Amino acid sequence: MSNTWKSDAMTRRIAARNASERRFRLLGLSAIVLSLLFLALLLFIMLRNGLAGLDWSFLSGSDSTDASAAGIWGAAKGSFLTMVVTLVLSFPMGVLAAIYLEEFAPRNRWVDWVEVSINNLAAVPSIIFGLLGLAVFINMAGMARSSPLVGGLTLALMTMPVIVISGRNAIKAVPPSIRTAAMGVGASPVQVVFHHVLPLALPGILTGTIIGMARALGETAPLLMIGMRAFVATPPGGINDPSSVLPMQIFLWSDEIDRGFVQNTSAAIIVLLVFLLAMNGLAIYLRNKFEVRW
Amino acid sequence: MIASVIFPAVLALGLIGWFSTRARAKLLYSGRGSMHSMPGYHAWHLALWIVLPALLVWGLWSAVSPVIVDHTVLSEPVAAQIPSDPVQRAAILSEARNIAEDPGFIGFYDESPTLAPAMKAAQDHYGLIGAILVAVAALAGGGYAFTRVRSGYPARTRVERLVMLALLGASLLAILTTLGIVASLVFEAARFFKDVSPIAFLTGTHWAPANAVGDDLNANFGAVPLFWGTLYIGAFIAMLVAIPLGLMSAIYLTQYADRRARKVLKPVLEILAGIPTVVYGYFAALTVAPAIRDFAAALGYQNPSTESALAAGLVMGVMIIPFVSSMADDAIAAVPRAMADGSLAMGATRSETIKKVLLPAALPGIVAGVMLAVSRAIGETMIVVMAAGATARLTADPFASMTTVTYQIVQLLTGDQEFNSPKTLSAFALGLVLFVVTLILNIIALRVVKRFREAYE
Amino acid sequence: MTQTKLPQTKLTARNVDVFYGDNKAIDDVSIDIGNGVVTAFIGPSGCGKSTFLRSLNRMNDTIAGARVTGQILLDGEDIYDREMDPVALRARVGMVFQKPNPFPKSIYENVAYGPRIHGLAQKKADMDGIVEKALTRAGLWNEVKDRLTDAGTALSGGQQQRLCIARAIAVSPEVILMDEPCSALDPIATARIEELIEDLKSRYAIVIVTHSMQQAARVSQKTAFFHLGRMVEYGDTHQIFTNPREERTKDYITGRYG
Repeated sequence: MSNTWKSDAMTRRIAARNASERRFRLLGLSAIVLSLLFLALLLFIMLRNGLAGLDWSFLSGSDSTDASAAGIWGAAKGSFLTMVVTLVLSFPMGVLAAIYLEEFAPRNRWVDWVEVSINNLAAVPSIIFGLLGLAVFINMAGMARSSPLVGGLTLALMTMPVIVISGRNAIKAVPPSIRTAAMGVGASPVQVVFHHVLPLALPGILTGTIIGMARALGETAPLLMIGMRAFVATPPGGINDPSSVLPMQIFLWSDEIDRGFVQNTSAAIIVLLVFLLAMNGLAIYLRNKFEVRW
Repeated sequence: MIASVIFPAVLALGLIGWFSTRARAKLLYSGRGSMHSMPGYHAWHLALWIVLPALLVWGLWSAVSPVIVDHTVLSEPVAAQIPSDPVQRAAILSEARNIAEDPGFIGFYDESPTLAPAMKAAQDHYGLIGAILVAVAALAGGGYAFTRVRSGYPARTRVERLVMLALLGASLLAILTTLGIVASLVFEAARFFKDVSPIAFLTGTHWAPANAVGDDLNANFGAVPLFWGTLYIGAFIAMLVAIPLGLMSAIYLTQYADRRARKVLKPVLEILAGIPTVVYGYFAALTVAPAIRDFAAALGYQNPSTESALAAGLVMGVMIIPFVSSMADDAIAAVPRAMADGSLAMGATRSETIKKVLLPAALPGIVAGVMLAVSRAIGETMIVVMAAGATARLTADPFASMTTVTYQIVQLLTGDQEFNSPKTLSAFALGLVLFVVTLILNIIALRVVKRFREAYE
Repeated sequence: MTQTKLPQTKLTARNVDVFYGDNKAIDDVSIDIGNGVVTAFIGPSGCGKSTFLRSLNRMNDTIAGARVTGQILLDGEDIYDREMDPVALRARVGMVFQKPNPFPKSIYENVAYGPRIHGLAQKKADMDGIVEKALTRAGLWNEVKDRLTDAGTALSGGQQQRLCIARAIAVSPEVILMDEPCSALDPIATARIEELIEDLKSRYAIVIVTHSMQQAARVSQKTAFFHLGRMVEYGDTHQIFTNPREERTKDYITGRYG
């Protein structure tokens, strides 16, 4: 009986199955390789086009109609101011909301709505936040168009759900025994959270925040809506001055006919990617260094 | 300029209150159980009673005082000669305000400089009143809290109640954002639908906002070509790239790659998700689109356009790969090991197990992931803005230039139209459609994911 | 056998019911808990002994849907009164948990946390004194005095539990509730904790929940037997173990169920 397993037909069949197994495995590997090749090509082309343009005058200059005189300092400063506004608003708000939902919220319909709302906001297209910013901050509240203030506000609304979601996960990971221990020596619920839970959850929250901020830093579409595409030849002095941001500068230069701007665009992309890589690297470092496994 | 004095002053006052109260409350301490709340809480209680009422009054006054200032300036004799047209009046007042703040400011209206001195005087006058009101509020609040610095006063409970209010407020912001999005989209879209019939908008096949003047609005705001372009690029071409590559990557990473390879490959793959869309857009426009145009020419196309649905969809698909991959990864990981073991133990090969057991079991999770990916792709803006084109046309030709909802929103809102024209408002109608569609996709997908996870827990 | 003098009553419970939602977990329990003695709660798993213990310092408040009716008095004060701050109550009625749960902070900070939030020390030197005294009483001082800045979580299981006891006594409570404090420890560590309970009992009212009858017999002077949410019998430990009045107590003590 066992001979059937050794018959020619069966041997051939098993060989065919093993071959198909190898083909499938190769298919999986080539999917990854293909994706990574695309990434490599993208980076290679940006480096080839842009590396030559990365010099001090490029890093310290502002936008100009002359490709060789144009630089990214103005846009970088705009990005910085916008990110400061975003962080100052979205971080405390996101953390407070995460604390409320995870530690204090009663289980009821209202809180369900808040949760659905946050989960959904994290998946709403960014351009919709731009429409919100345009309608509310600029048309209704009459704030200054093109300003880091409005840009930061808009991006803060977009980033907050990301911080809330990562914050809740980090808070959830703190074991309940810490809470009962603190309560057992007479800490009030608010003290339990701010003395014990929050410090322990902070690395996780910071990781999520950095990732959210990195996303905000690379965002262009919502800022187009609120007019941060102005030609700004001088760096913004404050959060109410007209300003541009790095991704917007890339977008604006990409439209220029002058060949010189191809180099500028690629160089600006290199700068932006370096910032993003640094932020993501910091997030990974924080996660590995401080995350406590319970 | 008054703001720059008042804000630090209030904070300084709060700080002084904090330190002095803590010192004072410490004197009350006479041993265990002698005080309800620790001195630090008394300090916070008082500091908050100084700062919050002051800031509240300041906020209210900043909202009210410009109206009073304008009124005062208009009742001055110098204001008698300015035009009675309300729009011009508002413009002149605004210029006068600018001159009052910055004497170097050059206005458009001749009347503005004459009003400036009166404006400056009124501003100073009411600014002073505001400062006094703020000071009164701070002192009144501080005075009230000062009388409460007693050993039995539950300062901690009061401060904690405020903290709870702040927590609640922060989480309500999420609802407010959603409501804000819905309200602003619906409100502006409703104004658009006053001029254009929703049926013509949703079913019309001719999109040419530039020609839309007078009575032929309905004929030029047919958005079907935009919907088609959006779906063709985002839900078809992009998915044609992202689903196979993302799914196969996930399968390789979870089923074949050893731990070390997985540890390196996964984060590298995720870099694709971290690259800003404007970079993808530029890459699509600079490299991919010309290559596709040359390819189309080689196939025998006459005058292929540089911008093509294929270029945008292809690059968008690559951008979505890590997203599909990580969703599929989660879905496959959620399938209990015992299921795969059962199949392997029968002598099935890995790939047979994956195809016959794992994928069917993980299907709901994968489908939900694809839905979220589609929702992302159709909301994606920069890639299509830079690589897809502006022409609204109904065609299935991947080499043709095509436009999308997001492209048109950008196009309509970055021109120099006045805000109330149907052209501008139509962007909000498009935004509303986009929001509703992605909302439905997200809610269904999130629900499927949740139910799927529960099923295997 | 001399009759011990009736100790002064510290905690009094009258007709206490505890509900989790619609489930009645504790049914009509009345008990007087004395000062300066160790009271043990014994009974089979799920009999409600831990639930009742947690209602004595209102730790049940933290569980959604939990509700306590009846009266529990601490020195004659109703602890469920609206005026009673659960925070102040828990400073007076400390608790040690089943699994050692030190904060992931230094040994010093673990002990100092309670005194700090309750403002028991004005100066650093006072705090040092409190920490040293609490650790000494918990029998841990000699083992950790040279490494007070090490993480509390780095100690062994038995040391961690003594650290938790030190943390509880650092706020000078009047009552210490212990919820199966040795169930996660090895026999040697258990013996140390039992010695410690013996040393501490003169200063505090101690209530210990235990699943080990030997432990109850060793450390306690009074024992209450719980079964199915009711307190079946309460009396001197010696009497409960040698001459129980109730049939169910006897069955449990002799190992017929549990």
